[in-house]
Amino acid sequence: VCVKKRKKQKFRTFSMHVLTLYMVKVYVSSSEIVVNEANFVRKCIGAESCQDDLWGKLVCTNFKVSFIAHNSLPRQCTHRLLGEHDIPLACVEQVVTVNDVKGKQKILGSNQKLKFNPTELILYCKDFRIIRFRFDEAGPESAKKVCLAIAHYSHPADPQLLFGFEYVGKRYHGSTGRKTLMRPVNGVDPGGGLQTPLFDCSSDWDREIKRTGASEWRVCTINQGYFISPSLPEFFVVPVSLADQDLKQYACCFYSQRIPLWCWNHSSGSALVRMSNISDPQQQRKVEQRISSAITKSHPLRSDVFKSDLDKNLPNIQDIQAALLKLRQICVIDSFEESEEKWLSSLESSRWMEYVRTFLRHAVEVVYMLESRHVSVILLEKEDRDLSCVISCLVQLMCDPHCRSLHSFQGLIQKEWVMAGHRFLDRCNHLKRNDKEESPVFLLFLDCVWQLWNQYPAAFEFTEVYLTVLGDSMWVPVFSTFLFNCPRQRAEHSRDFASSKSIHLGQDQALCFPPVWDWSQQFSLKDQTLFNNPLYVGKIATCVQNGTVKTFTHRRSKKNYSSTLRGLPSALRNGSLGPNDTLTRRNSLMLRLRSDLSQVREQQETPSERFVRDFFSRPVDLQGLLLPQLLPSHLSVWKLYFLRWVPEAQIPQGGPITAFHKLSVLTDEIEMLQNQLRQYQGAAGTPNNLHAEHSKMYFKATSTPHQSPAPPEYLSSSFPFSPVGNLCRPGILGTPLSKLLNGAKIWLSTETLANETI
Amino acid sequence: DRSSGTRVSDTELRVYKDPSKGELPLLPEEHVQDSAKDVTYICPFIGPVRGSLSVTNYRLFFRCTDREPVFGLDLPLGVLSRVEKIGAATSRGDVSYGLACKDMRNLRFVHKEPEDSLKKSVFEVLMKFAFPVSNNMSLFAFEYKQVFPENGWKVYDPLAEYKRQGLPNESWRISKVNDHYELCDSYPAALVVPVTITDEELRRVSSFRAKGRIPVLSWIHPESQAAVVRASQPMVGQNGRRCKEDEKLLQAIMDANAQSHKMFIFDARPSVNAAANKMKGGGYESEDAYQNAELVFLDIHNIHVMRESLRKLKEVVYPNIEDSHWLSNLESTHWLEHIKLILAGALRIADKVESGKTSVVVHCSDGWDRTPQLTSLALIMLDSHYRTIRGFQILLEKEWLSFGHRFQQRVGHGDKNHTDADRSPIFLQFIDCVWQMTRQFPAAFEFNEYFLITILDHLYSCLFGTFLCNSEQQRLKEEVPKHTVSLWSFVNSQLEEFVNPLYVGYPSHVLFPTVGIRHLQLWVTYYIRWNPRMRPQEPVHQRYKELLAKRAELQKRVEELQREAANRTASSSSERAGSPTRSITPVQTFV
Repeated sequence: VCVKKRKKQKFRTFSMHVLTLYMVKVYVSSSEIVVNEANFVRKCIGAESCQDDLWGKLVCTNFKVSFIAHNSLPRQCTHRLLGEHDIPLACVEQVVTVNDVKGKQKILGSNQKLKFNPTELILYCKDFRIIRFRFDEAGPESAKKVCLAIAHYSHPADPQLLFGFEYVGKRYHGSTGRKTLMRPVNGVDPGGGLQTPLFDCSSDWDREIKRTGASEWRVCTINQGYFISPSLPEFFVVPVSLADQDLKQYACCFYSQRIPLWCWNHSSGSALVRMSNISDPQQQRKVEQRISSAITKSHPLRSDVFKSDLDKNLPNIQDIQAALLKLRQICVIDSFEESEEKWLSSLESSRWMEYVRTFLRHAVEVVYMLESRHVSVILLEKEDRDLSCVISCLVQLMCDPHCRSLHSFQGLIQKEWVMAGHRFLDRCNHLKRNDKEESPVFLLFLDCVWQLWNQYPAAFEFTEVYLTVLGDSMWVPVFSTFLFNCPRQRAEHSRDFASSKSIHLGQDQALCFPPVWDWSQQFSLKDQTLFNNPLYVGKIATCVQNGTVKTFTHRRSKKNYSSTLRGLPSALRNGSLGPNDTLTRRNSLMLRLRSDLSQVREQQETPSERFVRDFFSRPVDLQGLLLPQLLPSHLSVWKLYFLRWVPEAQIPQGGPITAFHKLSVLTDEIEMLQNQLRQYQGAAGTPNNLHAEHSKMYFKATSTPHQSPAPPEYLSSSFPFSPVGNLCRPGILGTPLSKLLNGAKIWLSTETLANETI
Repeated sequence: DRSSGTRVSDTELRVYKDPSKGELPLLPEEHVQDSAKDVTYICPFIGPVRGSLSVTNYRLFFRCTDREPVFGLDLPLGVLSRVEKIGAATSRGDVSYGLACKDMRNLRFVHKEPEDSLKKSVFEVLMKFAFPVSNNMSLFAFEYKQVFPENGWKVYDPLAEYKRQGLPNESWRISKVNDHYELCDSYPAALVVPVTITDEELRRVSSFRAKGRIPVLSWIHPESQAAVVRASQPMVGQNGRRCKEDEKLLQAIMDANAQSHKMFIFDARPSVNAAANKMKGGGYESEDAYQNAELVFLDIHNIHVMRESLRKLKEVVYPNIEDSHWLSNLESTHWLEHIKLILAGALRIADKVESGKTSVVVHCSDGWDRTPQLTSLALIMLDSHYRTIRGFQILLEKEWLSFGHRFQQRVGHGDKNHTDADRSPIFLQFIDCVWQMTRQFPAAFEFNEYFLITILDHLYSCLFGTFLCNSEQQRLKEEVPKHTVSLWSFVNSQLEEFVNPLYVGYPSHVLFPTVGIRHLQLWVTYYIRWNPRMRPQEPVHQRYKELLAKRAELQKRVEELQREAANRTASSSSERAGSPTRSITPVQTFV
């Protein structure tokens, strides 16, 4: 990445970043249209003063808000759709215009009027950025127009106005269909890129049935053409004992005709099934019984079915949304110093971490039923389109090491979110029409995955950068993954769009939106290597090359400070203690010890707690079951996602990325040695420079070995993101932020420290 | 077995897979003093456990007898802060004993009183050996005679350390004025002071500084010559006393750094406390008297506040964590807030020295608690040498031990007076701050977390002489180096245990940690380690070592093949001399 290195020392460490990038002058494709623009706009960069601010042109297109700085040198761009200062319209949460002379402020929606000339525009983004533009030197009229345009275009009246339609539609124009697409969406790609199963055909389901050994389950095709259920996919899996005729009959009893869906089979034969509520109370008993007995019949041991009521045990989507809003408030909106004082209690009252824990804990309960009780589990949720997605994925991630590879993880999301009909369109609120339906369920899921990842960093093929970028991709509205509420909606919208634009679809039945899994839509191959976890890649290398030597079986290290309680008797006896004594004196240990003791006696360990405890008393097998540590002290805030834009929270030249750097280099060395071995072992003809192109690691081994290279200077805890210009907290009606931010005493700045008197 | 013998109990309940291994391990000169069968340990996590209890002159050893597999409890007596009989005997003659520990746990045992009232209970024996100082006995460190390959007492040589920093030089000299600890009994013998100040003037300064702890150099910047200087508070008093030698000394410190015409005095205390000290004759430097110096208060609270904070923390984390209010409970202990203030203070000091090229003077009241916290943390940020294992040992020996942090008083080695108001977890706080930095810069420290935990465990264990006594003078008088083993002998004899494999030693690199509460976290692997629900997260370090082994193995194979290929080439070329041979790309080697 070519960078213009900033002279100012303050930005020394921020100057290079990979995923936020320089404005592309050439727009994404001919489908992108400039709607409005204003010149001589200032983008606010620094908090204290405007001397770092950038001058340039603010452009609103039908895809993004773009800022083209006047005097920046062109840099190599690494995001293929977005430039350094770009915000996709779908990412804009709120458009606020300010006139600080008149002391006015207005939140703009679609088709609104603005009675004052804005001096400032603040964009609150869904990915936690807050971006400010000043219009001091811009023409008042053009400033107003561009603000109104941004507000209007960020509130599309119809899903077909989302940029993805134009983007994909243009590819069909003047062509004979599929051939001109970058790549086919479905399955095999001649370029060898997309290995992620999309579960939009019966063969993907068949493979999954075979892989999990679910021999008593079959692919059901009755919903082809979406004739039975509007929100189910065309293909899904049901017990073999249920005939299509039965299913059609039962379908009408379920909410939105959603026939229960098979998710996954445990190796013991227990199945994980998701089911919506039965809408007809008179039929409830009968249908429930039929379904349960069919699931029981599909279990090799004819085990029972356990119903897990998610609505009763988990927060609802509004709770989750409220939690995220509070979390955002303390992470990026409140001034750093202000939120610093009460950070822990504010974090607690946001309840975000509590919800993360609740979901993880619930998933552990389900795992216990599958793993230890050997029963099948039905996840029961009213519509079966939100909470079940989270729980079923978490259960599979914990139980099934297969799901922890990158492609299988993507397949998992395809299966349990996209195909199962998670309402991405509504939950992302892309149309900004119904705030009540907006909820970051998917982000909550990513956070849960991050917690697992954080506790078992070597068990997953991907990195936290991957999880973060995946979360951000929700706001790039070109991917089939996040644009629709269900497969049927995708089919209908794209058919309608095609016919209204006279697009000839050729052999396709619908427009082929790229799935987000086609990462080359967004990133270069080199940047995509940031998704590869060196600990996992290194491990694969070890196993492949070294069939007999299993270096990766986990050994308990001697530095294990936890108590090992393997094999304790299950029942806690109360011991032989008589009821105790009298208090001696106030300051005695007595009180506390007594409460210790009572805790012991009251503590009735449930079987699932025992299951968890047993798990933790054994050495971990990363290729086996993984349960998260659920003590509240062991869950952390996902800093890379939530705090990456906060300049005060950045660790210059530090953070987990510095360890990642070193691991990455080591893994790269291992890959290199293996290539050499292959060369010597007769795989002749392999060119020597193959490695450089195909290395899976972002940071490469240096040509001067024998010493560990120091992490590059531009690394920081926010890497590969950069706070510069991405978080300008608004002052009160346009007051310079410096006043608020000067409070951030602990942030290092020689000038401010010198001037301060305490 | 050296390592297992000296390791402080690393799990509360250690499982013995082989029941015969559950025997009492004894160190050299360790002797069983008493033991009892039929003791019940009330484990807060799994309930009552019956077993036998032994007390030696070093440890308490409990071995359960009613469970399979056998497990035990093994802790040095030094960690006990009090042993208390709770209540009267029950009708069956059972008596409860409560043991409060310095390492964040409480233990409770129930035992039948001996029927013969003349015979002492095992717990009475325990009380005697747990508090040898109160019972006029010597600490076990004076009996322990283990020989290690390396002598840790030789780790720190003050003159060598000053020489490393380029001292003495044209501006700074090493004074012998405190050779016999006459100037200041809590300071080291070797002091670095400006060349322009005579020993006589130093003597006069010492009467103006609390406990005679005059401003002396701790560290000097290799390029800018900005210095970190430590002291105690000036005895200004209510009348605003002045001392012209002290003013001259500070001016000389400033003059020694040609880069700056200013200096900073960091008073670690909250300004209110500093002002209140005037009533007791102390105080802070007035701007009138020290014209080119700017005074900054760092708002760090005193030892009593810190002790209270840790007490609250213990309540929150032991034995169980309350699920629903964990974060606000943690916040109410203020522990992380104190950590933050200390780190923030050190950061400001380091920033002034590094970015401002300005010399700084750091003091609190006596200059032996908050001052070493601040100077040593600032030094870790400024000087990468202190981030190595040996460098860190030198830092502790210098800033903490030689400059008289009152370890004996703050920890209360072997002293039963658990309510002593002089006890305070100042050193623990410092280690916590270092740990926080290691989290933020996982590749910048040569040592691992286990190193820090080992230091803390042996801070209390009284197995080694390192942390005994209150000052260099006392340690010399007690001949501690002669009669005890240094902790560093143990550590440096098995360094591989303590090495951070992710370490990248990049010299002359200054660390500026982020001190926001967002980036501080509770050190769960220390404070919550007794909870059986707690398991350390997957150790990346372990994986890293495995990858290293993998690399070494691959390398070996590549080299073998390379040799073979070379031989083949050599033989074939000798057969067909002159024919061109396929060139083989040289293989890079990495180790």
